[in-house]
Amino acid sequence: MQAALFTYSKVYNLLTKEEFINSAKEGKVLARKCTKCGHLHLVTTYFCQNCGNKGFENVFIEGKGSVVTYTIITVPPDGYEKYVPYAWVVMNLDGIDLRISGFMSNIQSPVDLPLGTRVKIVGYDERGMLIEKL
Amino acid sequence: MEKVCVIGAGSTKYGKLQDSITDIAIQASVDAIESAGIEPKEIQAGYISNVFGIADKQVHLGPVIMSDLGIPEVPSLSIESACGSGSVSFREAYANVAAGFYDAVLATGVEKVTHTGTEWTTTYFSYCSDFFYEGGAGASFPGLFASMARAYLAEFKATEEDLAMVAVKNHDNGLLNPKAHLRKKITIDDVMKSAVVASPLKLYDCCPFSDGASAVIICSEKFAKEHTKNYIQVIGSGRGGSSAALQGREHITTIPSTKIAAQAAYKMAGITPKDIDFAEVHDCFTIAELVDTEDLGFFEKGKAVEAVRQGMTRLNGAIPINPSGGLKSKGHPIGATGIGQIVEVFDQLTGKAGERTVKDAKIGLTHNFGATGASCAVHIFKSV
Repeated sequence: MQAALFTYSKVYNLLTKEEFINSAKEGKVLARKCTKCGHLHLVTTYFCQNCGNKGFENVFIEGKGSVVTYTIITVPPDGYEKYVPYAWVVMNLDGIDLRISGFMSNIQSPVDLPLGTRVKIVGYDERGMLIEKL
Repeated sequence: MEKVCVIGAGSTKYGKLQDSITDIAIQASVDAIESAGIEPKEIQAGYISNVFGIADKQVHLGPVIMSDLGIPEVPSLSIESACGSGSVSFREAYANVAAGFYDAVLATGVEKVTHTGTEWTTTYFSYCSDFFYEGGAGASFPGLFASMARAYLAEFKATEEDLAMVAVKNHDNGLLNPKAHLRKKITIDDVMKSAVVASPLKLYDCCPFSDGASAVIICSEKFAKEHTKNYIQVIGSGRGGSSAALQGREHITTIPSTKIAAQAAYKMAGITPKDIDFAEVHDCFTIAELVDTEDLGFFEKGKAVEAVRQGMTRLNGAIPINPSGGLKSKGHPIGATGIGQIVEVFDQLTGKAGERTVKDAKIGLTHNFGATGASCAVHIFKSV
């Protein structure tokens, strides 16, 4: 996939969440790199949190990293009953200062997932961003 | 800016209530008006905080409450800022009185959700998160704070029993509060044996879903002096924000909005954390009280655990935290909570706190946030 340069527009807003989801299905995180200072953000940011610039280029980041923290949900919100117990995980992406969170199935107990465990993004569906152990 | 005071405060009991959302809002409002010794017609604006009015078939609560108080012509504003709605509403009321727009206003917070059941509340509360990344990936609110807790326990070598001590302490305080939702003495063992909701948090690490309403009368110093001797002064008010999603924060174990709001409030008051005699903080989960008391500057990062172990935050400790019982025991009617904290400070500083009175207290702080601390307000009050 090729990085493309965008400026802010309403059409751009609508496109990128879909692109973000499509890239997750390919194991990647679509991020925005500030064209002025290089600061990285997730796609749902429209002005640079570091310098306020509104110009970004899309960057596709390999969806691999390690577990920062997580929980194992036993009392779920509506729609997640059939997945219990499952984990909701925050991961550090390798090599950059960016985190992403998502859903991980088949986690019964904390011994199944020590902090720092290597993980990867494997898809996106009605459960949200899907993360699995590497 | 005008000096701003709180001259009246009222609260319903927190818990599972039978009356409608409007009825409980009115009960608290009338209590506040009568405690201030004023007439409804002296109120120039209403600030009404609520999140899930939809659950009891009444949104746009402001005009309904003002009409029922016999003052339909008085303007009102209905405010939602998740679990921080009450303190954010108070801040808007404060700012308008400080700016001289109004002499006296009513701030009422209310919530009525327990009739909906755990599934409804768990689901709808998750809409307060950054839903695309959190609620929309299966994270419940206990789950988000559980994620903070796991990171905190690992970083600072604390244990689940340490978290349990916060719950035990707040239940001890709540036992002394006739209006508390969970008036029940508990032990560390009770907490450890309660059902896991979102590991590592168990049921007794979590505040309850509560119904309830709280109200205060906010006014200029001139208006206060003309009406009563029984009032407190607002000496600090601060607000702050954080990344809505946990993943966007540099540290999982600190809440930036608390630090920003607290620093602004301390600066306005011209005091430091050491000058605070007691605080009502946002302990929606046991882990939150540890994080809050560090972010508010009462303890260094990672040191709140040791403070709790030593009993420093107990009612007779060096810095009593949540003398009311906090969200954990007093309860958490989310739109009312921030106002309820101010009611507690009013009662403490005007000699109405009964058995749970903090000895010789002159300065009290309230800290209330929305979601995982995405929005926050801190207020500091002193007795006069």
